[in-house]
Amino acid sequence: MNIKIKGSRRERSEFLWGWLFLLPTMAGLIILNIIPIIQTVYQSFFKTGAFGRGNVFVGLQNYEKLFTDSLVWQALMNTFKYALVEVPFSIVIALLLAVLMDGKIRGKSAWRTIYFLPMVAAPAAVAMVWRWLYNSEFGLFNHLLNSLGLSSVNWISNPSTAYISVAVVGIWSIIGYNMVLFIAGLKEIPRDYYEASQIDGAGGVKQFFYITLPLISPTMFFVAVTRIIGAMQVFDSIYMMMDKSNPALVKTQSLVYLFYRYSFVEGNKGYGSSIVLLLLVVILLITVIQMVCQKKWVNYS
Amino acid sequence: MKRKWGFTAAAIAIAATALVGCSSQQAGKETTTAGKEETKQAEETTKAAENAGGGKTLTVAIWDKNQEPGLTEIMSDFTKATGIKTQIQITPWEQYWTMLEAGATGGSLPDVFWMHSNEISKYAQYDMLLDLTDKIKDSKTLEMDKFPKEIVDIYKWEGKKQLAVPKDIDTIALWYNKTMFDEAGISYPDATWTWDTFADAAKKLTKSDGSQYGFTVKPTNDQAGWCNIVYDMGGYVISDDKKSSGFGQEGTIKGLTFLTDLMKKGYAPPYEVVAENADEALFEAGKVAMITQGSWMLPELCNNDYVKANCDIAVLPKDAASGKRISIYNGLGWAASANTSMPEEAWKLIEYMGSKEAQQKQSDLGVVISAYEGTTDNWVKAYPAFNLKAYLDMKEDIVIRPYSKSTMVWTNMIHDKLIDAWNGNKTTEEVCKDIEKEMNSMLASE
Amino acid sequence: MDKSRKIRESLIYVILFTGSVTMLVPFIWMILTAFKSTSESTQMNPFIIFPGVWRKDAFISVLSKMNFLRLYWNTLVLILGRVVCAVLTATMAGYAFGRLHFKGRNLAFSLVLFQMMVPTQIFIIPQYLMVSRLGALNTWFGLLFPGLVTAFGTFLLRQAYMGLPASLEEAARLDGCNIGQTFLHVMAPLTKSSMVALGIFTALFAFKDLMWPLVVNTEQNTMPLSAALAKLQGQFVANYPELMAASLLACIPMVVIYLLFQKQFIDGIATSGGKL
Repeated sequence: MNIKIKGSRRERSEFLWGWLFLLPTMAGLIILNIIPIIQTVYQSFFKTGAFGRGNVFVGLQNYEKLFTDSLVWQALMNTFKYALVEVPFSIVIALLLAVLMDGKIRGKSAWRTIYFLPMVAAPAAVAMVWRWLYNSEFGLFNHLLNSLGLSSVNWISNPSTAYISVAVVGIWSIIGYNMVLFIAGLKEIPRDYYEASQIDGAGGVKQFFYITLPLISPTMFFVAVTRIIGAMQVFDSIYMMMDKSNPALVKTQSLVYLFYRYSFVEGNKGYGSSIVLLLLVVILLITVIQMVCQKKWVNYS
Repeated sequence: MKRKWGFTAAAIAIAATALVGCSSQQAGKETTTAGKEETKQAEETTKAAENAGGGKTLTVAIWDKNQEPGLTEIMSDFTKATGIKTQIQITPWEQYWTMLEAGATGGSLPDVFWMHSNEISKYAQYDMLLDLTDKIKDSKTLEMDKFPKEIVDIYKWEGKKQLAVPKDIDTIALWYNKTMFDEAGISYPDATWTWDTFADAAKKLTKSDGSQYGFTVKPTNDQAGWCNIVYDMGGYVISDDKKSSGFGQEGTIKGLTFLTDLMKKGYAPPYEVVAENADEALFEAGKVAMITQGSWMLPELCNNDYVKANCDIAVLPKDAASGKRISIYNGLGWAASANTSMPEEAWKLIEYMGSKEAQQKQSDLGVVISAYEGTTDNWVKAYPAFNLKAYLDMKEDIVIRPYSKSTMVWTNMIHDKLIDAWNGNKTTEEVCKDIEKEMNSMLASE
Repeated sequence: MDKSRKIRESLIYVILFTGSVTMLVPFIWMILTAFKSTSESTQMNPFIIFPGVWRKDAFISVLSKMNFLRLYWNTLVLILGRVVCAVLTATMAGYAFGRLHFKGRNLAFSLVLFQMMVPTQIFIIPQYLMVSRLGALNTWFGLLFPGLVTAFGTFLLRQAYMGLPASLEEAARLDGCNIGQTFLHVMAPLTKSSMVALGIFTALFAFKDLMWPLVVNTEQNTMPLSAALAKLQGQFVANYPELMAASLLACIPMVVIYLLFQKQFIDGIATSGGKL
């Protein structure tokens, strides 16, 4: 009897303290995120007037437009293409670097510092310097090509390859971040696994595929999920690197870029809302698929 | 409004203090002081925000960094005369309208700012601008009939409310690289030039190795670029009643085809190069021999070392058949926010900027060609090394920059669609017809 | 055996070296261009790699046009404000999620998980309208607004609390501490490394945030570096030395801080991610 009262008092106290602690975060999440989502959904049924006034209810018109707007579908394709280049390469290169640095290497922290450096640079600065490097007339890259006797490349204005150039900037920026996560993941692999396999006569490559890869798969899963979500939201580099008159823009602009343009440049926030909701659905779908598939390859030992 | 969130911050801070306060005494004390500090900080932020938004300083928003030094000088005269301080904020064109729209939505427009024919109707429609009509009537220094009527009309909403006072007038002229002309053995452009002479020169000035081209013009360079030749050849962009597009007109197609044909022949850099670099950037780098540019570009071009050493200005070529040498012109206006906290001060600044004295100084300093009649003579002396007179000569036959209520929307559409004509993916005629159709439907829904 | 190992080792160094040169090229080019004159930067014949004279012109001109002290200060306020808010709220919520059992906890936590998956752009328009209705456009509060709480941080701290042994809590309870005291004196101090990690993570992404400051803070007085740089590009179409000088000035503070606190940075990032 006595214990039961104590238990319920403890329960009550946990309930009160729990919600007290949650209060700021929950209030914030509701105000900053939940209400905005509801508003975005609501707004997507309106044709928005200038300065947030004169909104007209248009029903599903924005969605009808969305499904027939070739720019939107092109932007979705562009976003996928960007992610398909950026995510795998940034993971593979980062993993390779992490494995190389996992052994006995001189100047480990110096290497790590260099590879992580792009992460701490202002993204606008990064985009500007890459745009300058890529410049078809005055850029360093084309000069190097020319001096090797090769002809110039329109890095960011060739519609069929510009997304790759933008993705390269993404890869360059994120490698260090992924690498640090992989290095941390590798540290958790018990050394005796390697020693045991060495006795069994397994070489470096075999060790990598039979020990390292399976044991680092949880980290890889984390990186893959977060990177795909990140890549699907690419905006900064496209916004900074490509002018409105760039012929490759239509074949490169991402959904978020289109959302920014419609919502804030052309003042059509209702249509912008429907675009960003499309992005939400796509990201949720991909994440769910990843969660389902993880059982096939992620190894939680 | 601003005070409100100061309270909110204070309330949050107090709530936070109370939250942690129920734990042990010592920790409670620590957090209380922290809470107080937060409140204090919040108050300071509020104050800083108030200082930035109000006080005794007028915020003035403009988009052209080239004009800042000159305008600062004129406004310091204004401050001396009236005691009203001003602070200029520059936001580049691309983001300027996003900034203004954000300000209008949130009720925090700058006090005084530039207006443009592209955007005036939107701001007028929602009563975002201070109505200056009565104030102008009562003013002793401001004489509206000294300004070009068409520019005054742009800012006269529905023919009644004057919402902005003309600031300047801009015309277009031809920039050419003397060194390249000398090298190719061609005489410099002058008033006898027709567009055919231009085409001929462009051909001779183009080097086959791709190191030098005759000219360049971006699809986005409408007013200072392709629009002029379109009007020369009898075409137009929008009809006088602003109801229909002129892209189906023979002259329009002819003018644009003339330009795109020259591009196809390789007398202009490939479109990819044009897209990545501004017209003037290619000119400044000695990549192209000729560009057409507006008078607002003078500070940029005239202060560039390479341009100073090699280049000069001439009037635009004329059309051989029609004999027309048209310059598209436009004029910005000074407008004030309808809900500025200092309407009197804002009006005084606008009145001053429209006075003969300030307009004269604006021309004298070479900032831009002032809109006020008879103030422009000294403007040509602003950059003595260049033949600025060409810009004034271009004032003889001018057409106002095409505009309607939704200029921005159809201008963006035209810029987008012209890319296909520029890089040759579609025929120019095809693109024009397409633009005509889309623009007409946009105009119909205005 | 020894020989092949040596070859393998030197191969590793070659790869690492080539890789780091590639990583550094943009930075080097930024520095070289910033010290050139405009015409040097666009000269093709001959192409100029090193500036003839190391000019400070671009820096002088950029510093006269932009108030960098102000921009640094705004950025610092943005970063510190977001870090303090994130660490405070996430520590409390993380403890509740990780250690306490109460009604509604799972529902609340699913809200946190949901937020982590939603693209942040979805919140921008409504958040922007809220800020503008509060009259807080172009204020620091407006700048901080979306970072007042953090779903990711909450998740991170929850993981940290879940990893702590239950015996500590029991001991504190036997000493007569209530839940608040237990949290403050016993549990919270043990998650210091996660708090630091969250702080660094938040700081880094606050520094890199572009779209929010771009729409909310359009005045120079309260604008952070990222947005000011984006604006700069529109102003100096062709002046690459100035653009690069400004980029360099924008990057230097964070790079210096990073070089000074490398270990904390790397450890922080490593802690902030890993497994879901």
